[in-house]
Amino acid sequence: MTAHQKVLARKVGAHAFLICFLILILVPFVMVISASLRQGNFAPSRLLPDKVSLDHWKFVLGIPYQEVVNPATGETRTVKPSTPPLLWFWNSIKVSVTASAGIIFLSGTAAYAFARLRFKFRSTTLSALLILQMFPMVLSLVAFYVILDFAGQYVKWLGLNTQPGLIMIYLGGISNYIWMIKGYFETIPASMEESARIDGASQFQTFIRILLPMSLPIFAVVFILSFISYMSEYPVASVVLQSSDNWTLAVGANSFLYEQEKLWGRFSALAVLSGVPITVVFLLCQRFVIGGLTSGGVKE
Amino acid sequence: MSEGSVQIKELVKTYTDDRGRPTFTAVKNISLNIEDGEFVVLVGPSGCGKSTTLRMVAGLEKITSGTISIGDRVVNELEPKDRGIAMVFQNYALYPHMSIFNNMAFGLQLAKKKREFISDTVGRTSKALGLDQMLDRKPHALSGGQRQRVALGRAIVRSPKVFLFDEPLSNLDAKMRVQMRSEISKLHVQLGSTMIYVTHDQVEAMTMGDRICVMRDGLIMQVADPLTLYRQPENLFVAGFIGSPPMNLLKGKVQKRDGGLFFVESAEKNGLTVPLRGRIESVAGKYVDKDIVFGIRPEHLSDEAGKEGTHAPVTSTVEIAEPMGSESLVYLKAGTGNLIARIHGEHLFHLGEQVTIQLNLDKVNLFDTATENVIR
Repeated sequence: MTAHQKVLARKVGAHAFLICFLILILVPFVMVISASLRQGNFAPSRLLPDKVSLDHWKFVLGIPYQEVVNPATGETRTVKPSTPPLLWFWNSIKVSVTASAGIIFLSGTAAYAFARLRFKFRSTTLSALLILQMFPMVLSLVAFYVILDFAGQYVKWLGLNTQPGLIMIYLGGISNYIWMIKGYFETIPASMEESARIDGASQFQTFIRILLPMSLPIFAVVFILSFISYMSEYPVASVVLQSSDNWTLAVGANSFLYEQEKLWGRFSALAVLSGVPITVVFLLCQRFVIGGLTSGGVKE
Repeated sequence: MSEGSVQIKELVKTYTDDRGRPTFTAVKNISLNIEDGEFVVLVGPSGCGKSTTLRMVAGLEKITSGTISIGDRVVNELEPKDRGIAMVFQNYALYPHMSIFNNMAFGLQLAKKKREFISDTVGRTSKALGLDQMLDRKPHALSGGQRQRVALGRAIVRSPKVFLFDEPLSNLDAKMRVQMRSEISKLHVQLGSTMIYVTHDQVEAMTMGDRICVMRDGLIMQVADPLTLYRQPENLFVAGFIGSPPMNLLKGKVQKRDGGLFFVESAEKNGLTVPLRGRIESVAGKYVDKDIVFGIRPEHLSDEAGKEGTHAPVTSTVEIAEPMGSESLVYLKAGTGNLIARIHGEHLFHLGEQVTIQLNLDKVNLFDTATENVIR
């Protein structure tokens, strides 16, 4: 084989591998989309539906549609979907946006302290954070339940079956983000903040006016990550939120999968729908994930 | 005393770890008085504590013990902004997300100054620094020299009593450095403010400072004006640190031979021997048979005996010659000792050439080997 052929063979091999890999990723995605457009609520068997039907989407979006009751006689009835799917969608956005904003505030300030201030047990606390976040959140489900139950006796809006309660629990998952943001802060030269201090800025002013504007990329990344994870979080939400009015999208979607009857069509439509805000948030935040924000300030 | 003076008294800085255990003492009990309007340079090798001292004056570093007063007021516990100082950092430390105008105006804005006052002050300063055409730009659109000028402008608009410079020129290229050096010196004349300038570059120190404070390992080795420092170093460290090429330093003993005193270089054989006559004869008298270091600057070695002063001839071989036009740096081997001579005139020296070099004994400094201090 000549050298040219060798290169060609390697290229073909690499492309074949990558194409297989792409298929592996894309097929489930296409299946979910096609299931949401299929007639009836069956587990997807073929990649593309024989007949496209928007029934599931209509159900999810709360638009009345005709459903065949008896295939033999062709008898149909008008189904007027209740509002829940859209409500769940709205709940999910509310919870995820609030929790993510809260996470940015908490982890940003905490990371600043860890990166810039010197205090006792600083490194111990940092390692403790890292170790604690290795335990999955699900392990503390029982504790969350008891805590919220207890809190609800005194503060109604923070108890079980409330969204603020769920957000409170979500806010506990910041240790990862503290580490991420702290790492970013440490790449920003301290002399800029020292310079601001000499200019007369307080510690808080320095944080808000000097460090934050330079840290937009990392905050955008943290917002995207936490938004995605809370948009699709199921275990905690399913335990905390009990009435269907309060459910988030993930809990709601799961409710279509009864033991006796799994409504795959509706489930899929809802799953695809939940991808929309994630995409929107990603596109919005992507503008801030740009390099060079700190360039020019100091000589590297 | 006037308001721009700085007194440093028995200053100590010990760094501690997170738990407050001492790890490293960077500044070991130093005292220094700086007059109002004086340009003082702190110079020394890296890790000598010069930057730490400056940062303590600025208020960026907590003081372990001792006091710092600015204009008769002890500032140990004052925030940097209340000390009447401004600082220029080595890496400029501009705010990258702000325009040049806002970079310079930031301090005044925080101090809640009137809008007209701010635009007036910044306008005037930027004009003086040649930055008035680029006030809307961000720092990344500026060259290194321009950025450092912005940092300078940011310090000037605060109209501080004391300017602090932390190696402000070491990130610039050689040409820019020389230009900025004279600009800072001019600024000092114009403003008449006290300036404390930290550098590791002894040329910068010599050319800019009214007085120079040489530091090593957290201690002050000598404080003096540039020429005194150059001519009368207090100790071996200063002698070796100031001047380029450095002072020739030879280890040896004082010996009495034939009724006269001689410096004999410590060597297995062929040690260099120099008669000690004139001014240094009485100095060396106390050190007969004791270890000393013989120090002479390269320009006090010449290829012909001068009209003034006591000269001693030394036979040597040329090892390397670096002709630089009006003068030559000649690396010589005399006995086993290496000597560098700065010889004026356009005479060309050749490799391996035998030359008789005249040492100007009036300019020689002798140092005690044990204490490293100069012998007087």
